[in-house]
Amino acid sequence: MAKSTDLVQGTLDLLILKTISLEPKHGWAIAKRIQQVSREALQVQQGSLYPALHRLEQQGWIEAEWRPTETGRMAKFYSLTGSGRAQMKKELATWSRLSAAINLVVQEV
Amino acid sequence: MRALRKIRLRLRSLFHRSAVECELDAELRFHLERQIEENLVSGMAPGEARRAALRAVGGLTQYQEECRDMRRVKLIENFVQDLRFGLRTQRQAPAFTAVAILTLALGIGANTAIFSVVRAALLRPLPYAQPDRLITVGEVRSEEELSQSLSPESWNASYPDYLDWRKQSKTFESLAGFTGDGFTLRGAGEPETVTAVQATTNFFSTLGVKPLLGRDFRAGEDVAAGPYAAILAHSYWRSRFGGDPRVVGRSIQLDSNSVTIVGVLPAGFEFAPRGNAQLWVPLHISGDLVTRRSLRWLSVIGRLARGATPVQARAEMNLIAARLAAAYPGQNGALRMVMAPLRDRIVGQIRPLLLVLFGAVAFVLLIACANVANLLMARATRRRKEFAVRIALGAGRGRLASQLLAESLIIASGGAALGLLIAQFGTRLLIAAIPQAVLDSMPFLRDAHADPMVLAFLFATMILTGVAFGLAPAFEVFNRNVGTTLKDESRGTSGGVRTRLRHALVIAEIAFSLVLLVGAGLMLKSLTALLDHNPGFDTRRLLTFSVFLPPVRYPKDPDIVRFDRDFMDRMRVLPGFVGVASTSVVPLTGGGNTIRFAIEGHPTATGQENECDIRDVSAGYFSMMGIPLVAGRFFNDADDTPAGPPRVIVNQAWVKRNLPGEDPLGKRIRFTYSPTEPYRQIAGVVGDIAEAGLDSAGEPMLFAPFRQDAGRFITYMVRTAGDPGRAIGAARAALRNADPQLITILPITMDQIIAQSPSVFLRRYPSFLIGSFAGLAVILAMVGLYGLISYSVSQRTRELGIRMALGAQPGDVVRLVLREGARLTTVGVGVGVFAALMLTQLMRSLLFGVSAVDPLTFAGVALLLTLVATAACYIPARRAMRTDPIIALRYE
Repeated sequence: MAKSTDLVQGTLDLLILKTISLEPKHGWAIAKRIQQVSREALQVQQGSLYPALHRLEQQGWIEAEWRPTETGRMAKFYSLTGSGRAQMKKELATWSRLSAAINLVVQEV
Repeated sequence: MRALRKIRLRLRSLFHRSAVECELDAELRFHLERQIEENLVSGMAPGEARRAALRAVGGLTQYQEECRDMRRVKLIENFVQDLRFGLRTQRQAPAFTAVAILTLALGIGANTAIFSVVRAALLRPLPYAQPDRLITVGEVRSEEELSQSLSPESWNASYPDYLDWRKQSKTFESLAGFTGDGFTLRGAGEPETVTAVQATTNFFSTLGVKPLLGRDFRAGEDVAAGPYAAILAHSYWRSRFGGDPRVVGRSIQLDSNSVTIVGVLPAGFEFAPRGNAQLWVPLHISGDLVTRRSLRWLSVIGRLARGATPVQARAEMNLIAARLAAAYPGQNGALRMVMAPLRDRIVGQIRPLLLVLFGAVAFVLLIACANVANLLMARATRRRKEFAVRIALGAGRGRLASQLLAESLIIASGGAALGLLIAQFGTRLLIAAIPQAVLDSMPFLRDAHADPMVLAFLFATMILTGVAFGLAPAFEVFNRNVGTTLKDESRGTSGGVRTRLRHALVIAEIAFSLVLLVGAGLMLKSLTALLDHNPGFDTRRLLTFSVFLPPVRYPKDPDIVRFDRDFMDRMRVLPGFVGVASTSVVPLTGGGNTIRFAIEGHPTATGQENECDIRDVSAGYFSMMGIPLVAGRFFNDADDTPAGPPRVIVNQAWVKRNLPGEDPLGKRIRFTYSPTEPYRQIAGVVGDIAEAGLDSAGEPMLFAPFRQDAGRFITYMVRTAGDPGRAIGAARAALRNADPQLITILPITMDQIIAQSPSVFLRRYPSFLIGSFAGLAVILAMVGLYGLISYSVSQRTRELGIRMALGAQPGDVVRLVLREGARLTTVGVGVGVFAALMLTQLMRSLLFGVSAVDPLTFAGVALLLTLVATAACYIPARRAMRTDPIIALRYE
């Protein structure tokens, strides 16, 4: 039930944007992809994923389309919009700055 | 792009709700099924796989809810829900809703009506090109500035000075002059008197107005020989010429001149300083008017040159005036330049009136809002158990506030809709209540209607009031603890923010209504004082009309005198005609000529002679008008002949200004416009009369016998035995017998003049309106007070029961309740008196014969309001007295 607290606030958006930046994916695939790439370290709960997707869509950063999956079933595929790509670059830059800064601090000893 | 997409998505979420919900459902279901598949692949049994998936997925419904939140639609949906709920709530309490809506509708309606008029008069730009660049210019003498009747409406200039301004000024692109005139029009039907304006040929181009048909005046048409061209006002073109476009080029007869109609003005054209003009002709003057700088009669307006500021124009005009004074010390030495925006000339008179009315009506709106807030709060208090239950069941406080807001918006919308009807009706009523003569001088008022800007104002008022009184009960709910509310329902405790706020509202209502009552009282007192004010002559049963004697038929003075004598004789013998006299200007209407004079033995520097109004009157004028003789004697028939001895009569104000402390009788004065003017002996002193209007003070005035300097435009005054209005026919017949070619010009009774006069209008109109507002305000405030006290009594039933059980007498209970009301009333009256002391200063220019802080009015109003308030409290107090202690104690 509890929302994922494994993720730093605000990074979920970045993960989603990055994950769908290569090709459109549906929600399930996004969750799976994040899980795989992070070697099971990041578990995205549905309770966080779908509200985030809807929020991003509402912001105009991603857009959704219903189309068949490889197995022939209909699913809602999300893809990046132009402004979404710009937003992603912005967040990526912020993230690298932030993580580099955190690394500097925690590795100092 | 992004914004567009966002809007599209949001609209879709709103209006294709079921489709969106279905998709959401399908999306989450897809996810769930993939999870089940995965579980199956990892070797779980089908039932187990499903259960595990559901566990992992968690509460589907909650996700859906969160997704909906993300779509930001809930806010709107909730509000719609609130509105529906609000409507149901209103239906359950129809009386409450009706009172609240009616209260607001009256407040909003009255405000919008007044605002419509204010907008038409003060906010709407004048219908000319770049109206802000238009300036009115004039020259005045210092003693005229002492007179209260001097205002931009009466600024004038002499013709030669005007020509010099035009020649020398660089800051004005153009300067135009105009003056009122009247003609007898012949051709195209019965002869009739028309009101006209003579204007310089650049008049319309200065305003930036082009004729609808035909052409503008041409340079060179303003020649002495006579009016050869005329431009018709649109309304006159419709009424007299049937809107015939072929009228251009047609010939008509104005007095004895043949004139060609060259144009027709557009329908929207208005020129308030001459609002009743039916046609316009080029200036056609001759003789003294052209050459004498001491004759100031031409009204001048100017358009600022590109890049010139009013300050620069003023500086330049002062320079020009100084130059003219140096060149013509005898005529221009005492003159000073005055300038103001043209708008001041047009609305200067009505501006303070409208602002006061606007302020008064805003008070009504405030009271209405306070009242509705009070009603809502009282109801919110009664409903606090309902609110507490809803909070306990998990309603967010924001949700509750939003619901209360929705309810107040429903009331505000109802109030606004009904208010719009009231406003439309009210605006029409407001305009209809303005006398014709005043409307003529302010033609823009006819244009007052609820237009888009007024509607915007109405809507803004509605939203503001909705939010204002919607929040009051909402605050209250926040400030209460749910548990306490559920527990102590009707425990009979009072106090706290809620009660204090309601008290404050009622106090404010009482204070506001006191301010309005004082305003109404002062206006009413001014009106009574004005109507009771003795203008210095007997206004009863007086008829007046004028006659113009065209030079073609009456070339010389003896011809005029012969007509005058004959016509007066004919009228004197008419039945019901008690007295007949003539003058050059009807009292109370203002205007007229002025004259400069020197007093024998009182040497004055050239150009600094005194100037005052002069009237040419017949011998019997004073006794017929009932003007008292103070010293000496009236004119007699021997004075009033062409070759009579040079004598004048002065009034008391003249003596006070020019010969203070001296005996004026036998002193001699000389008019200075010509060196050949003889010395004239002062034969008598008469009482001052109000010349410019009922509210005008007596100005210094000279009277000369009419027949010694006979004019072509003669105004006759007739005292009748019966209704003067009925004597017009007989006078007309007498005139036809004397000369069938002449017509009676502007016949009107003195009572009509008074009823239509701006000075009476300026008091009667606000007396009536502020009086109505004050009445409304008092009713609203008393409803508020009554409601508060009743509520308080119902809350204290238990306490009162205990008191009575312990031996309190009914009288004690009544006193207890009344004391609560008296406390509020006293504070309200106190605050109101204080506020009124400051606010009535703003209406000082409208008052007449009464001080802005008139103690009698203040005391009377305070007493009246206290009495009414006590009565409003007495009803619930009686109810409290009848409380049965047994029932009261069993109440819970």
